[in-house]
Amino acid sequence: MARAVRAGNSRIDLIILGGAALLALVARGLPPNLRDPVASSMRTTFLAPLVMLQERAEASRRSLLLDDARTAIRDSVSLRAMTVASLENENDRLRQLIGLGARLKWGFIPGEAIHGRGVRDVTTMTVTSGSNAGVRRLSPVISPEGVVGMVSTVDPTMSEAMIWTHPDFRVSAMSEDGAAFGIVQAHLASATTGYLMELRGIPFRSSLKPGSLIVSSGLGGVWPRGIPVGTVLKEVKTAEGWARTYLLKPAVSPADVGAVMILRTDRVTKSFENVWTSVAAAEAAAQRIVVSGDSAAKSAALAEAAARRAALDTTRRVIVPSPIPGGLPPELMPDTLLNEEAGLPLDTSAAAVARREAIRRAAARRDSLRRDSLERQAPRPSPTRGN
Amino acid sequence: MNLASTLRAAMLFLILVLLHYTLRPLLGWRAPMDFLVLALLLSAIRVRPAAGALIGLALGLVSDSLTPDALGAGAAAMTVVGYLASWLKAVFFADNIALNAFFFFLGKWIFDVIYFVVENRIGGIELVQQLLLWSPLSAAATAVAGMVLILVMRPLLEPART
Repeated sequence: MARAVRAGNSRIDLIILGGAALLALVARGLPPNLRDPVASSMRTTFLAPLVMLQERAEASRRSLLLDDARTAIRDSVSLRAMTVASLENENDRLRQLIGLGARLKWGFIPGEAIHGRGVRDVTTMTVTSGSNAGVRRLSPVISPEGVVGMVSTVDPTMSEAMIWTHPDFRVSAMSEDGAAFGIVQAHLASATTGYLMELRGIPFRSSLKPGSLIVSSGLGGVWPRGIPVGTVLKEVKTAEGWARTYLLKPAVSPADVGAVMILRTDRVTKSFENVWTSVAAAEAAAQRIVVSGDSAAKSAALAEAAARRAALDTTRRVIVPSPIPGGLPPELMPDTLLNEEAGLPLDTSAAAVARREAIRRAAARRDSLRRDSLERQAPRPSPTRGN
Repeated sequence: MNLASTLRAAMLFLILVLLHYTLRPLLGWRAPMDFLVLALLLSAIRVRPAAGALIGLALGLVSDSLTPDALGAGAAAMTVVGYLASWLKAVFFADNIALNAFFFFLGKWIFDVIYFVVENRIGGIELVQQLLLWSPLSAAATAVAGMVLILVMRPLLEPART
């Protein structure tokens, strides 16, 4: 009996096995257009959680496999990112230097500045150009921003330059409009003020406003005229009563000096017209014009009219001008040319004729200076003048 | 087989299915362990051969749904393996762990043989290489995984005594 039951069960098992195997083979033989919907319906219904688990697991495995590579890439990118800022800065400086070279056109020797010691106490630097390249002693070293220093010693392939922070460095400088001349040197009063300059020897009657651009004057023969030196920060009170001293913000920070140009001696004596374009100066000039507007011309006209009226009044009162000892020279006295307009009798002596001619020339020069100063207030590409 | 044993077996079955879809793709071996075959083998020894065949058919269709081009091949292979495992349960699943490992190895290898033959996707040297190299390796990995499971989850793996 039991054997019969087992035989029956085995037969049933075999039948079910055959049916299941047949079903599997039928599924295997399904055409693709029927097979895919069946598989897809299973994946999107009750197998969806398992499919999602498998996707997550495979994604995790890929992440694990790529982790080292990603870490290496991330580290490389981070390392490169650290140098991006300095590269951009260097790129900007090189672009400026290329622009300066294009404006100079000739007579310069490019070089790379190598700082020897710490950034804060640098007074000299090595430049990677020497006498083989044409560098001579006392050759000016400049950057796109302005004065850097001058060559002190020259080797065939290298040269040593004295930066403007050196205590012995001097450059003859002037205000942008040429109204005040002085000597610029490093400001050594306090170590806490950083790198600053001093403009010494400005005549007491000349006053410079903060922000005024100071350029090299061209006097002395080492530095050409018109290279930016710095901008006025404030006046420094000194014991000297006959001259003013101003504190300058240097055009070139010694720590930022990288690529430089050394001017050849034959280039120093030539024109530097339109070489330095100071965007800041142009903006300042434009701002001044906007602020003053037409009032500048109006006030100038009013001042001139008032001066003429005062001169006429003086001429009527004073028949014969007598020079005052220690006072203004005759050509700067109120306009005595108006004697003719006033119908006064003219002195026809030779001395009087010569004096009238001198007065006429002085008046013409004054008018020319006034006209130049008005032109300089307009935004021009170059704030400097050539020699 | 009482209710508790059935629940334990169902829980073990579920764990193995989850492992198949999580641990196996995470490892990504060239010769992977097959937790579905383990689940089939461990289930089939608790049921009659017909039920084992049906469980194999269901598991096979589930696994084939992720490879639509081979739909039915896995089902056929698991049907046969499920039936054979249930039929041979008296032979295997003694307390000898090595014998159990051989049972897992054999089950997985038979599955691979049937699967690749029915799938008919590869042939020639490649089929021989698959069946004589990669399939035994995969079967060995499956056997090792099965042994670990037996050691770790022995309370859940008590086969039904009929």
